[in-house]
Amino acid sequence: MTHDVNAHRPSRLPSAKCCAWSLLWALILLPAFAWAQDAATQAMSVEYRDIPGLGSRNVIWIVAQQHLLLAGFVLGVPIFAWVCELVGWKSGEARYDNLAKEFTKLLTSAYATTALFGGILLFLLIGLYPKLMAYLSDIFFPSFLAYCMLFLMETAVLYLYWYGWDVMQGRKKWIHLTLGFLLNLFALGIMIVPNSWATFQASPVVVGDGTAIERAWAATWNPTWWPVNIHRLIANVVLGGFICGAYAGIRYLLAASRAERDHYDWMGYVGNFIGVFGMLPLPFAGYWLMREIYQYNQQMGITLMGGFLAWLFILQAMLIGVLFLGANYYFWMGITYRIPGSEQRYRRPILAMLIVLMVCLGVWMTPHSLVASLEEARKMGGTHHPLLGVFGVMSAKMTVANLMILVTFMSFIMYWRAGKQETAAWAKIAKSVMGALLVVAGIAVVVLGVWGYFVPAIIRINYFSVAQVLIVLFIMLTFTPLTAVLMKSAKVTTAMVWGQMPVRSAYCLVSNAVMVVLLMSLMGYARSSSRVHWHIYGVMRDTSEYAYSPALGYAAAFMSLNTFVFCLLAAFIFWVATMGDKAKQGPAQGARADTPTGMPGMAPAVAGGAPTGARTGTPTGTRTHE
Amino acid sequence: MSEVALLQIIGLLVVGTGVGILLFIRSKFLRVGGFVIIVLGTFSLLALGVPQMASLPPAIETFDITKVKTPDDLAGIGQKIFFSKGQCALCHSIGPSESARCPDLKGIGAKLSPEFIYESLTEPQAYIYLDFRHEGVPKEYPARMPYIHKNPIALSKQEIYSVIAFLQKMSGEPISIDVDDVLKMRDRDAMTVAAVATHGAAANAGE
Repeated sequence: MTHDVNAHRPSRLPSAKCCAWSLLWALILLPAFAWAQDAATQAMSVEYRDIPGLGSRNVIWIVAQQHLLLAGFVLGVPIFAWVCELVGWKSGEARYDNLAKEFTKLLTSAYATTALFGGILLFLLIGLYPKLMAYLSDIFFPSFLAYCMLFLMETAVLYLYWYGWDVMQGRKKWIHLTLGFLLNLFALGIMIVPNSWATFQASPVVVGDGTAIERAWAATWNPTWWPVNIHRLIANVVLGGFICGAYAGIRYLLAASRAERDHYDWMGYVGNFIGVFGMLPLPFAGYWLMREIYQYNQQMGITLMGGFLAWLFILQAMLIGVLFLGANYYFWMGITYRIPGSEQRYRRPILAMLIVLMVCLGVWMTPHSLVASLEEARKMGGTHHPLLGVFGVMSAKMTVANLMILVTFMSFIMYWRAGKQETAAWAKIAKSVMGALLVVAGIAVVVLGVWGYFVPAIIRINYFSVAQVLIVLFIMLTFTPLTAVLMKSAKVTTAMVWGQMPVRSAYCLVSNAVMVVLLMSLMGYARSSSRVHWHIYGVMRDTSEYAYSPALGYAAAFMSLNTFVFCLLAAFIFWVATMGDKAKQGPAQGARADTPTGMPGMAPAVAGGAPTGARTGTPTGTRTHE
Repeated sequence: MSEVALLQIIGLLVVGTGVGILLFIRSKFLRVGGFVIIVLGTFSLLALGVPQMASLPPAIETFDITKVKTPDDLAGIGQKIFFSKGQCALCHSIGPSESARCPDLKGIGAKLSPEFIYESLTEPQAYIYLDFRHEGVPKEYPARMPYIHKNPIALSKQEIYSVIAFLQKMSGEPISIDVDDVLKMRDRDAMTVAAVATHGAAANAGE
């Protein structure tokens, strides 16, 4: 078989005249090409660009923070949406499936905005920090590709998961659940890959020779990568839970019918429960991260905990304290308003818990060195207060953090048990054992905390603090299944009533969400500032005019601005997402208004609500308490 | 007016606006907004109430190699390079350390000749790679020794010999690197190394 070489030959060959013109143009354009090359070379040598008036760092700060908060929500929500769906599938209760779908609806609308902010952030980083981005691209390019692949997969699965919800019911439900699992798997990948870039900046390792993949992998596996991965994974669940709780709180306030009020009261409860569920182990993950930072570079740890960022941790204590108080207060309001008659029974334990929480918060917020005038400092013999000074050290703070977690956990257990009477023969013994264990655990945590003052720091950090954490974890891991078994056979004495919570409960949910967003902003500032004047710690110095870390007051104003912008964004996204529902519900609203739906009576078993069908009655008064 | 005072006034205005919304606006949604800005304003005011410390970067030090007169001067520059541009301290410790990912360099200047150290830095695979692992279970983050004279670290010969001088000095050994020999190595006009301090000088933001 022969091939006709003339087949693809142009029909007209270029003439000599044409060649001459081309040559002439080439000669004319040659200097222009050379000039362009010069400009390109010059552009390559640009290390920083600025946005006059705003400042490049400020712009990056806002965009990165919005992207991170939206991403936290987008990656956290699928976890509990999928768990809700799974519970609904296993229990056969449609309301869990509906709730999971409602969570996912919020997720889909937030997803596009997250990607949008990610894109803006990338363009800004390339434009404003070309030298840093060139360095990171050189090392991490293979993981950039992996990230793109994961993002494509995540988007495809999310579309299938959301749009296939109604189609994949019944016998096809397992396919939908598998999609939900894959969604979370890809989401995990999407989170941990960029974490490697950020953690490499904070704790770089020397990247030697090797293939591009080997170099990227060596840089990825840096000392703080997994501590940050775990910390962010849990924090995303907390953020997602509390944001959903705040959304439910606002919808509860705006509810036009009894059914809506009941539904959003329940959703608010679930959101708060998820937030608290994640919040309990979060301090442990934070402790692990700080430990790794200290192990990696003691100077960085000192900058964080004892250097110019030390006061930041007082603010962190305040925010966490308010968050713990808010979460507990919401539980206590739930006991009081959803379980009629419980108020008197639980008044004293609630008061005791409140006192413990307040004392713990006071200790946690006590600074190591007080702000004192020269005269005051002379009288004290330094800035270390003779009496309160003992509360300013880590031993005290670890102790109260563990006690606050214990108290919050007990609030949840109390809520779970409220309105029920255990029927199991061994219930009395089990309750006595749990009570004794709780007392012993509390004492052990305090004893270890006090003992921590008298041993070398390394012993306290490696053994005592770890023991305190393990004690609290032990309590949580033994009490939860034990209470679940006890509640399974328990008799409902007072049915749970939804839609009766006072207005302040909704504000409490909003406050919790704001606290979490502020906390994430605050700790983002801490993480970034711990690198001080380095883009990549010890490797690439920040030589821009923004190499300094701003003072806490200026930073806090920025965090507040960021939080406010995020709240506006979230409100807009959720408003758009639910616009269609309102239109659909519109005509039927009047007919259904103030008609109990039966759904809220079936409180989640783990939530302390009555089991299916056990609802004994619904009060007719539906006015929320002001 | 200082920056702190200005921010305090803005914070107070924000809180005042929030209070105004709660007092005079009936829309439930806007009232939630008012509540949120009260929380955010209060947080900012509290943060402005604690000591305001900014972290300023240390000045970039430039070392003029022609001013090096003694071996100690050379070791001084080597010390700065060890903890900054050379990135040695990212993996190596001087003295026992649990977190070090590579061998402890304490006393190495007494154990190894300058030629051997130079080879270890520029040809890390030639000999030392086989020996860097510890006995027993390998450490958690076994880092591979990079070529110190190539990118991204790319130390010059003068810089490498300064580091060797530092390693000898901190091992209590007499510095065997000849300053004149180093000065003759004109592969770089000057050595510019970042300041050693990894923590910025704290300064009052109001100043």
